[in-house]
Amino acid sequence: MQIFLPIADVPVDLFVLLILGAAVGFLSGVFGIGGGFLMTPLLILLGIPAAVAVATEANQIAASSFSGVLAHLKRRAVDFKMGNILVVGGLLGSAVGVEVFRIIKSYGQIELFVSLCYILFLGSIGTLMFLESLSTIQKSRKSENTFKQKKKHNWIHGLPFKTKFKSSNLYISAIPPVIIGFIIGILASIMGVGGGFILIPAMIYILGMPTKVVIGTSLYQIMFITAFTTFMHATQNKTVDLLLALILIVGGVLGAQLGARVTVKLKAEEIRILLAIIVLLVCLKLALDLMMTPNDLFSLTYGSGL
Amino acid sequence: MRALIFAIIFLFSTSPFSLSSVISNIDKSNIGLSTRFDGTSILVFGAISPENDSTSLLIEIIGPSTSVSIRKKVQIWGIWVNKKIAHFQDIPSFYQISISNPEHPILKKIENKKLKSLFYDFLEINSTPKDGNVVEQYYDELARLKKKLGKLSAFEEQINIIDKKLFSYTVNLPKKIHPGIYKIKMTLIDQQGVELSKSEQSVKVSKVGIQDFLSYNSKNNPVFYGLFSVIIALFLGFSAAQLFRWLYR
Repeated sequence: MQIFLPIADVPVDLFVLLILGAAVGFLSGVFGIGGGFLMTPLLILLGIPAAVAVATEANQIAASSFSGVLAHLKRRAVDFKMGNILVVGGLLGSAVGVEVFRIIKSYGQIELFVSLCYILFLGSIGTLMFLESLSTIQKSRKSENTFKQKKKHNWIHGLPFKTKFKSSNLYISAIPPVIIGFIIGILASIMGVGGGFILIPAMIYILGMPTKVVIGTSLYQIMFITAFTTFMHATQNKTVDLLLALILIVGGVLGAQLGARVTVKLKAEEIRILLAIIVLLVCLKLALDLMMTPNDLFSLTYGSGL
Repeated sequence: MRALIFAIIFLFSTSPFSLSSVISNIDKSNIGLSTRFDGTSILVFGAISPENDSTSLLIEIIGPSTSVSIRKKVQIWGIWVNKKIAHFQDIPSFYQISISNPEHPILKKIENKKLKSLFYDFLEINSTPKDGNVVEQYYDELARLKKKLGKLSAFEEQINIIDKKLFSYTVNLPKKIHPGIYKIKMTLIDQQGVELSKSEQSVKVSKVGIQDFLSYNSKNNPVFYGLFSVIIALFLGFSAAQLFRWLYR
């Protein structure tokens, strides 16, 4: 069934969008990822303008992360103080990111910019994930247990503005969380991702937060940042397509619930390799689209002057 | 249909006094662009009283004006980058012209004159001097791309003439069209292209329903629209959490 998206200004098939939303939602349920970094490029490949894909995906993530944070609140698995400091950095990052986005968009190069960001990110993350899972599989075949949890005393502990994080049982400077939050804010606003794939490792390895509060706290920050990013894109760039967001939210919710309840008979490393392959394929497709000689060198765009 | 009958009576009753005249009507004067809009057609019909056999009927449909840029992909470091090369300020977003007599002697001349006055005269080039060949290329690209999008057609559609007096004509609008006023102009011309008589109709195309609500507010009330989007998303997130908690209790 064909529907016309009001802000994206393109006709799309409703069922294709619902299935896409459900498929990415399913993957996020299985892999425990947000899915924004898959959804945004897939929307672009479907023909949705990059600027609309990014802003609308931020809106979808606001919905899914809020739904997730509620579950974690029940389990008291959110470090609010840490979350709020991350949010402060994130709001700044988002504001900067949206402004950068607006400037690049005014030069008419936002499609290229977003594609390049994605090729860079998906390429590096996919490759890292792939190599890491491969080496883990090889190590586990040799039946060596290499998991050691070390409490490191690193440079983080030398920074000023130290403060106590009760839920995380930490006494560290507020500067690293602000910087991490800032980077996540930039990523959310220029790529339409939650940023969990960077935020979670950063919380564990840089801040040294205990695993039990990491996911809840990251969702808490992501919810605020994507909500704010949605608002900023709506006011600065006018690129949030609420109809598209609604369809993706509905598809995504159903898919994620299914994914979370499916018992996957695969080992964690194998799942990660599978995810790495999906990520690399999307990256490859984006790269090919930029490099292959286009069918038509010329195109028309509507809008204001030179 | 009743309008047509009246029109015909009117035409025949007055025909001894006027040399050439055209009267017309359309089957709809409003088109709503809903979320399900999938293109539509407008039926134009009416009556003509041609002076003689050499009189032809021209029908033009002129959509609302928009500004259009032509972008060209250029290769930089192995990747294709869009570069804006030309800009047309306020040209019709849709244009179609047809004639009752495809063998009209100055068809090409009429086409060029129309395209020039509606499109080509509005070219704005960035800094580069107006080199004749370059300008011609921009004209050709504009016409080619617009035709490809189904937004420009010159003497491709047929006008049905019945008994040299009645005519009917169907305008097919693609699914992606700009809202605004679409003018339909009917003109009787002679062999030299001189206008003998004219009639004009208009169709209002506007966004309706969700389509109208979202695009209007996104443009005109961005703060409201932004907050609304966030609230809807959070509400749905909350509902989903509640729903599944209840389902899997």
